[in-house]
Amino acid sequence: MAEVEETLKRIQTHEGVIGTIVVNAEGIPIRTTLDNSTTVQYAGLLHQLTMKARSTVRDIDPQNDLTFLRIRSKKHEIMVAPDKEYMLIVIQNPSE
Amino acid sequence: MRVCVQILRQFCFNSATKRIVEIPDLQWEKSQLNRNVACRFFFIWFPDLTELKLPVSDPNPSLCVCVLLTLQWDTDPSVLQLQSDSELGRKMQRLGATKITQVDFLPREVVLYCKETQTPITGTEEEDDEEIIDLEPALESDQQEEVDNKETREGYPGRELTEEEKQQILKSEEFLSFFDCSIRVMERALAEQSDIFFDYSGRDLEDKDGELQGGSSLSLSRLFYDEHWSKHRVITCLDWSPQYPELLVASYNNNEDAPHEPDGVALVWNMKFKKNTPEYVFHCQSPVVAVGFARFHPNLVVGGTYSGQIVLWDNRSHRRTPVQRTPLSAAAHTHPVYCVNVVGTQNANNLITVSTDGRMCSWTQPISTPWDFMELVYNKSKPVAVTGMAFPTGDVNNYVVGSEEGTVYTASRHGSKAGICEMFEGHQGPVTGLSCHNAVGPVDFSHLFVTSSFDWTVKLWSTKHNKPLYSFEDNADYIYDVMWSPVHPALFAAVDGMGRLDLWNLNSDTEVPTASVTVEGASALNRVRWASGGKEVAVGDSEGRLWIYDAGELAVPHSEDWARFARTLMEIKANRGDAEEEGLVELTP
Repeated sequence: MAEVEETLKRIQTHEGVIGTIVVNAEGIPIRTTLDNSTTVQYAGLLHQLTMKARSTVRDIDPQNDLTFLRIRSKKHEIMVAPDKEYMLIVIQNPSE
Repeated sequence: MRVCVQILRQFCFNSATKRIVEIPDLQWEKSQLNRNVACRFFFIWFPDLTELKLPVSDPNPSLCVCVLLTLQWDTDPSVLQLQSDSELGRKMQRLGATKITQVDFLPREVVLYCKETQTPITGTEEEDDEEIIDLEPALESDQQEEVDNKETREGYPGRELTEEEKQQILKSEEFLSFFDCSIRVMERALAEQSDIFFDYSGRDLEDKDGELQGGSSLSLSRLFYDEHWSKHRVITCLDWSPQYPELLVASYNNNEDAPHEPDGVALVWNMKFKKNTPEYVFHCQSPVVAVGFARFHPNLVVGGTYSGQIVLWDNRSHRRTPVQRTPLSAAAHTHPVYCVNVVGTQNANNLITVSTDGRMCSWTQPISTPWDFMELVYNKSKPVAVTGMAFPTGDVNNYVVGSEEGTVYTASRHGSKAGICEMFEGHQGPVTGLSCHNAVGPVDFSHLFVTSSFDWTVKLWSTKHNKPLYSFEDNADYIYDVMWSPVHPALFAAVDGMGRLDLWNLNSDTEVPTASVTVEGASALNRVRWASGGKEVAVGDSEGRLWIYDAGELAVPHSEDWARFARTLMEIKANRGDAEEEGLVELTP
């Protein structure tokens, strides 16, 4: 348990990381380093997007499945590691 | 909650006539009613929940009064209307307009689920579900404060989980295994910092950090250090993975500053990705003094500890503690185990371990008791305090051991001469490192081995002669480890207590090392290991730091190196023969 906290803290202190969120299968955030409203927003939106991405991948090939999702925007990079039960979201500001 | 009752109609029961008669204008006093309410109250609920009948206390049982009342819940006690009479309530209730406060029950909860379906759903269906879900959170979050429902945990994004539920999830087994895998991937992704949007036209090219300057000298490639697990611990052993050339395992001693942390730690580091955290963390109760990847079992890491226990870690399980360990018994080891080695072939392999009391044990999987053990004694008298062991390439029976007295012995596992065979004297201090020649090429040098010792020298030996062939004396401190290059026949690396890493190329020079570098911080270097490709060398120091150096051009063998080394050897032997008069004792291998 403490290892989970320690690992999350270590990721948080990584260069450029803005926030880390752990979300369960229903889109409810379990652990977060951001404030509540941002967390809820990110969790909800990214959950839907991940579901959509996953269904896209599986529509193209039913044997396939989504393993990692990376969204690069002008300001941030959002990385999502999805799983059957949970999802790990990290928002990073990549250094130029 | 107070009851506000309003009298609709009053009745009384005339026991004489045995009839219920309606009485107009019955008056009730409040106090009477309260008392009555406490003792003799019974309700008959009518279906519309508004009327009830109640009898009133009657000292005269022949007469009882029933009232039809409406009942309204009201929180305001001043609204209490009813007054009951102390006797029989003959006074009539004046009906008039009353203050009625309406309180509604909250609407029933509508339970909606947004679970995924197993079959792949089409795009349009997904859209509808999402719309519904979008509407719900807005409503629900308003009512969240009023509703206290710990049990109902519906799947709305925006719904909160309680703290206990979150803690429970964080402790659960599936979460931990998910977290273990995804955090690994995430850290690798975070560490990759390549900028795919780089525009070469706009600005000057910058030198990227970390680019290897592959040159003819020794250059630092990586530094592996973990704040939590490496700090204040000495690196006691290193091993590269035979299966994945980018993985290496390092074992660490105990941390005196942190007595509550486990004494023995083994970390598996990954060279391939830029992340600076260990790939796997293993620990156990006793300081680990020897570690190695099990050669024919790619998931297992073997450790020898200070207490004599052999421990086995498995990277398939999510546990950081050993999955198997040997019992602490007299049948196994009771002294620190400084050498662990897997010898044999894919189908017939054994784990050989040697401890400092001279006992050598062979183990098979699963390790519980050794199937074979042997005491290494010289001349049947004194046991050999083994500090290092090496098997020549391709040999599974004969091996070389170094001892604390400074003598080196050859020994064999089986056969008529099982046990210690020959003694090699030469060092004046304990032998710290031992390495058999293992570069395979046109000429066979497998009879050569090098040893390092506290006497500031590295000595080159052949198993055919019981005196050293050559002694390398360029160092000014204890030499802690030495290893032949796996690809270059004339190259070996040595590390000493002043933080120096030396590469000796015997084809170029036998007096001084060909390349030498001192690590930053000048801590003592405890272990050196070449990677299996021979291009990188890993060095562990006494501060828990693991340095990876790139040997560059130096480590690349050329085809004539073998022939040159054969000539070098002959020169060495010739020089030796001139220098020493007592002559070499030729030993039969």
